[in-house]
Amino acid sequence: MGEVELSCRAYVKMYLHCCLFPRCSINGLLLSSSTAGDAVCVTDCVPLLHSHLSLAPITQLALTQVDVWCSQTQQRIVGYYQANACVSDSSPTPCALKIADKISEQFENAVLLMLDGSKMSADYRVPPIVMYERKDSRWTLKDKHTIMLRQWEETRAIAGQMLDSGDHSLLVDFDSHLDDITKDWTNQKLNNKIAELASPANGSM
Amino acid sequence: MASVSEMYDVGWEEMRDKLRKWREENCRNSEQIVDVGEELISEHASKLGDDIWIIYEQVMIAALDCSRDDLALTCLQELEKQFSDSHRVKRLSGMRLEALERYDEANKDYDAILQDDPTNTAARKRKISILKAQGKSAEAIRELNEYLEMTHPQLYQSTYCFPCHFHSYGKAAFCLEELMMTNPHNHLYCEQYAEVKYTQGGLENLELSRKYFAQALRLNNRNMRALFGLYMSASHIAASPKVSAKVKKDNMKYAAWAATQINRAYKLAGRGTKENKCSMKAVEEMLESMQITMS
Repeated sequence: MGEVELSCRAYVKMYLHCCLFPRCSINGLLLSSSTAGDAVCVTDCVPLLHSHLSLAPITQLALTQVDVWCSQTQQRIVGYYQANACVSDSSPTPCALKIADKISEQFENAVLLMLDGSKMSADYRVPPIVMYERKDSRWTLKDKHTIMLRQWEETRAIAGQMLDSGDHSLLVDFDSHLDDITKDWTNQKLNNKIAELASPANGSM
Repeated sequence: MASVSEMYDVGWEEMRDKLRKWREENCRNSEQIVDVGEELISEHASKLGDDIWIIYEQVMIAALDCSRDDLALTCLQELEKQFSDSHRVKRLSGMRLEALERYDEANKDYDAILQDDPTNTAARKRKISILKAQGKSAEAIRELNEYLEMTHPQLYQSTYCFPCHFHSYGKAAFCLEELMMTNPHNHLYCEQYAEVKYTQGGLENLELSRKYFAQALRLNNRNMRALFGLYMSASHIAASPKVSAKVKKDNMKYAAWAATQINRAYKLAGRGTKENKCSMKAVEEMLESMQITMS
């Protein structure tokens, strides 16, 4: 299987999603705006739920809506992420496997990403993620060397900075959108903020 | 760093009242409770009178939530000094041990309470929480069953989430049925029940789910999950080859009605904000595409 690259925007939003709901299991979809050969480039993510992850209707609804949005914006769903409420266990739950299976039906090189809550504190210098790929109808651990985060230090700094300034409260996941449909689950505002912090014109970077 | 009273220009009475409000509404805004509570305790303890004990309890629990064991221990020690033999304080001591992941010691505290008072539901709940935190799903479900057999209505409230977490949808449905009986006007329980039924799948469950989504909407016509749920369950029933022509027709009507309501809600939401244009367009297209597959 090929390489997987995780963009700053995708990582920061997943990280902020975890920080916004530290006591819940959370999940979301990984998106890509490019189809460069064998490599999968995760350019964005859509945070989905923070409650009752294993119930079907809202998950199905979210998958359909994100699918539609993707076709409108030349993106595709290339994977799924989840962080478990129970920090000591970062293995994929049955519902994670189910959703990831569904995604891999539409995209062969789909990835399943689990966030490891126990490694998310500022002391850890390594990305707190565990990735799985589909081999012989089973989800197996991906070789760490095929996972790339360009400019990891910068990404990590941006995530930390946004958490400190309380920006995680700006994040909207699908669950929050259903509570108030004026909220935007595509998180354009947050995307702009991340882009600002990541741009080379920003002197502090 | 500025104090809470400086930052928000509030006096100690307002801080005390805010804490009370959060207590009454059962809010879990632990960071805020710690900020306000810590200051109140350290600077105005003498003015609080008997309120101080319940504030110690509230702040202690919030402190555990924020990994502030120093603060939690201080509060606990004050409570232990004042109420040396209390079950309530013993439970707090157990909760602190849980937060430190010293589960065996925590269980000892809870077992001691249950020996004295076997009906103490708080201690039972904590024991089940420990099993859940340790990932011991089978045991947690077993304890849950024993617990539910005591038929205490308030128990179901916090326990229906557990079966869902462990994929025991049948048990989740059972808990929700009990909750709906005692809280017939609560639209959230109807809607959650409908979601569980939908997840269980099969035509019969889908029809039940549609009924309960509809019921949730009758109780609260702004419940978006119920609206989408009604749309999806009715659409699936209408698309099923096993239903009669009449059932198909009826469900297409329900689905069409739901779609109109959804569209209307999104149009209303879209006014005045450019922000959610993307999500609005996604919903419009989704409804269109599902219509096509149905006809």
